[in-house]
Amino acid sequence: MIEPMKKQIAIVEDEPALRENYSAALARHGYLIKTYANRDSAMQAFRLRLPDLAIIDISLEDEAEGGFELCRDLRALSAELPIVFLTARDSELDAVSGLRLGADDFLTKDVSLPHLAARVAALFRRIDALRATGKATEVLRRGALAIDVERMQTTWGATPVVLSLTEFWIVHALARSPGHVKNRQQLMDAASVVLDDETITSHIKRVRRKFQAVDAGFDAIQTVYGMGYRWVE
Amino acid sequence: MRIRSQLLIVGLSTLALPWAGCQYARELEITLRGSQEQALRASAVTVADALAAEPQRVFRDASDRAPFDPARGDIYVFPLSRQPLLDGYRDDWSVPQEPLAMPDDGGPRTRLQAGATERYLFLYVEVEDPRFEPEPSAVQLSTDHFDRVELLVQRPDGTLGSYFFATDAPGLIEGQSFAVADDGSLQAGLEPRLQAYWLQTKEGYHLEIRIPLSMVASRLWIRPLDGLKNPPKWELPAIEHLQAGRLFFASEGLDELLATFVRDGTRATVVDPNGLKFGSAGAFESSTEAAHARTLSQDWFRARLEVDDSGLPLRAPSPDRLEGPEVDAALGGQVATAWLRTGRDQRPLLSVAAPIVVDGVTRGALVLEQSGDQLLGLRDHALTRLFYLTSLATAISLAFVFGFASWIGVRIGRLQSAADAAIGPDGRIALQMPEAARSDELGSLARSFEGLLARLNEHTQYLRTLGGKLAHELRTPLTIVRSSLDNLESEGLREDQRAFVQRARDGSQRLGSILSALGAAARVEESIKQSERVNVDLRELLMSAVGGYQSAFPQIRIELLAPPDVCFLQGAPDLIVQMLDKLVDNAVDYCPAGGAILIELRRDAADYRLSIANDGPPIPDALLPRLFESLFEHRSSPGDKPHFGLGLYIVRLIAEFHGGQSMAGNRPDAGGALFTVILPSI
Repeated sequence: MIEPMKKQIAIVEDEPALRENYSAALARHGYLIKTYANRDSAMQAFRLRLPDLAIIDISLEDEAEGGFELCRDLRALSAELPIVFLTARDSELDAVSGLRLGADDFLTKDVSLPHLAARVAALFRRIDALRATGKATEVLRRGALAIDVERMQTTWGATPVVLSLTEFWIVHALARSPGHVKNRQQLMDAASVVLDDETITSHIKRVRRKFQAVDAGFDAIQTVYGMGYRWVE
Repeated sequence: MRIRSQLLIVGLSTLALPWAGCQYARELEITLRGSQEQALRASAVTVADALAAEPQRVFRDASDRAPFDPARGDIYVFPLSRQPLLDGYRDDWSVPQEPLAMPDDGGPRTRLQAGATERYLFLYVEVEDPRFEPEPSAVQLSTDHFDRVELLVQRPDGTLGSYFFATDAPGLIEGQSFAVADDGSLQAGLEPRLQAYWLQTKEGYHLEIRIPLSMVASRLWIRPLDGLKNPPKWELPAIEHLQAGRLFFASEGLDELLATFVRDGTRATVVDPNGLKFGSAGAFESSTEAAHARTLSQDWFRARLEVDDSGLPLRAPSPDRLEGPEVDAALGGQVATAWLRTGRDQRPLLSVAAPIVVDGVTRGALVLEQSGDQLLGLRDHALTRLFYLTSLATAISLAFVFGFASWIGVRIGRLQSAADAAIGPDGRIALQMPEAARSDELGSLARSFEGLLARLNEHTQYLRTLGGKLAHELRTPLTIVRSSLDNLESEGLREDQRAFVQRARDGSQRLGSILSALGAAARVEESIKQSERVNVDLRELLMSAVGGYQSAFPQIRIELLAPPDVCFLQGAPDLIVQMLDKLVDNAVDYCPAGGAILIELRRDAADYRLSIANDGPPIPDALLPRLFESLFEHRSSPGDKPHFGLGLYIVRLIAEFHGGQSMAGNRPDAGGALFTVILPSI
């Protein structure tokens, strides 16, 4: 058996220090890192060879939303390539969600490097699980909801609901113990992210919308004012 | 002093208008008087010259120039306008003057008055002789004693006539003539041309005598005799008796002559060198009568405004004489003028006297008198109009000034209250000022205010966004530090090194939360923009939230007071809860352990009033208006978590998003702070 080929990760980040830090951290986890400072150099390289995963900063050099462009172009090259956005953590999260560019996760730059590595690993795991067909997986079922933890796939009834990783972990944390109120801190811990209250609220809002797009009558996620949220069946 | 009062005082200066009008009227009167004087003077000179050209029509006796002397028996003959009735009374003579006492010659005290119509001379004699001695029926002049009045006249032909009046019974009698007969005895005979009325009174008797003017020339002598006291010394009166008893007649036809010269409102009088009136015509009374009909208001300001006449000499009217400095001057040969007061109400009177010079000798004077009221009528008319017009002008301008002042005051007040309210209780700056559209100074003041407020607002906006911008800019370097620390840790560190890294990590953590707080306002504003409104039951939401707070803060008693039924409003429940979180966080921060927080929801007419009161130190009044400002922090907070005063700012943003407002205050009992949020109901 030959050693499996190292996974290749592309980091598009205009800040050299950050770029090198991310690169060093992920390299330590055994990934092959290619770094790019701007959209053009990244796209040139992607056209020659697609990476296994791309981490993209939203603002790139003089392009305030260069990351979005890059994401769209990249998605055009490959439908399956996992894409993670690293944002400067302001109101851009909502802007990203509105764009529905097909990113797999949004992380703020506050995320610690171990968390980043864990996210990356989780994404690869999801890809691998999707590719490994027929293998029996652990499925969490709550009424119409089915969560395939291995593949990190969510379905409502028979319809898949495409969630980002953060959203996936939030839904998972809520659905795992129905009726229990999870406060915002607990949800953040579950998703391994550091977010403020407003961001959690907007994540919940987005999750609800995604389920409601499948089932207009969806109201399984209930707000408990002053405390948090809970899953009701 | 208010602007209105100030401008009103300024406006009072228009009172100078009526004042100037009155001054002008006074000047006008003085000028008018001067011109009246000139005109009357010219008339007087002309009339006097005309009279001097015809002395025979003016002076009855051109030769006699001795002065009038009543003490010597001279008699002034009053002109009588009507023929009086012979009845012993002179009431119908229309002569106001009382009869004059005759010189005492040892006989009974006698008073005499003479008057003349065109054809008759009338004598009125009052004799004090209480005892009546009648005339015997067959009179013996030489021996009989009886009361009688002797009369001696100079006939027109120069001869003398001797008559007496006596009677045995009072009543209408005839005069008797007596003459010395050839034998030297006195003979009496009836003279029917002389008519008289003998009226017996308690004190004596009155005798009213009528003599045809054809029987009298220019001299007359009269003497009453008491039959008891005076023995009848009958004798023909000597001609010497007549040296003095001159009759001073008003000249015949002179009145008519003068009447041709005078106009209405003027009286012309001719006096002889003694000041005795020869004739007069016209009257100055008519306009005086008219003046009496003046209105009350005219009297009012006349009393205050007219030329002062009270210093003028007062002239009492006299029927037979006209005396005064101007008359004296005229008799001395000079034309003279005098202003006098006369009549019952002492109206001003202009009197001009001009000498009548015949053959180089001043034979008399012409006096023209005119009422000053003629002027007054003119002046009053002008004055009244002027006074009314200027008063009206003053009133109008005062009204305008007052109105204008009020308007200015209102505008300034509006500007002032707008300036006071420009920075609202929530710290928001109102950029619009009233009056800014006007083009005057107040308008430009308002525009300056607006400019000021706009700059203040820009500055405030800048400060408000400064935190967010700063946080954004600092985030990348902070991330570099953190990720470097992460990498450093992964490289494998010694235990002592690890401690330093941990400290660096703690520091960057704190820095991170500070930056997070700084950017929170911008994020909340962003998320508010994207919020959707739904129908929310505020009461249910509160009950649920308060339940959460009660379990989260067990050390504090949190109570909720809410209406019993649903309280719907249109809003974003997440935001409302967030607002509530901030308010409760804030209340808990300052509430001592064991204290209480009272959350109360009240429903008003059109809104809900949500108040949160805690047991804590009251907030200083000076800080109240600033509490809801971004990044405002005053009170030192107990915990060590960074406090940047964003909580209350977020409360305000959320309240405003719902169309409501947030207020900070202290509990009425000063036992703690009280925050109130007003949210409009549906």
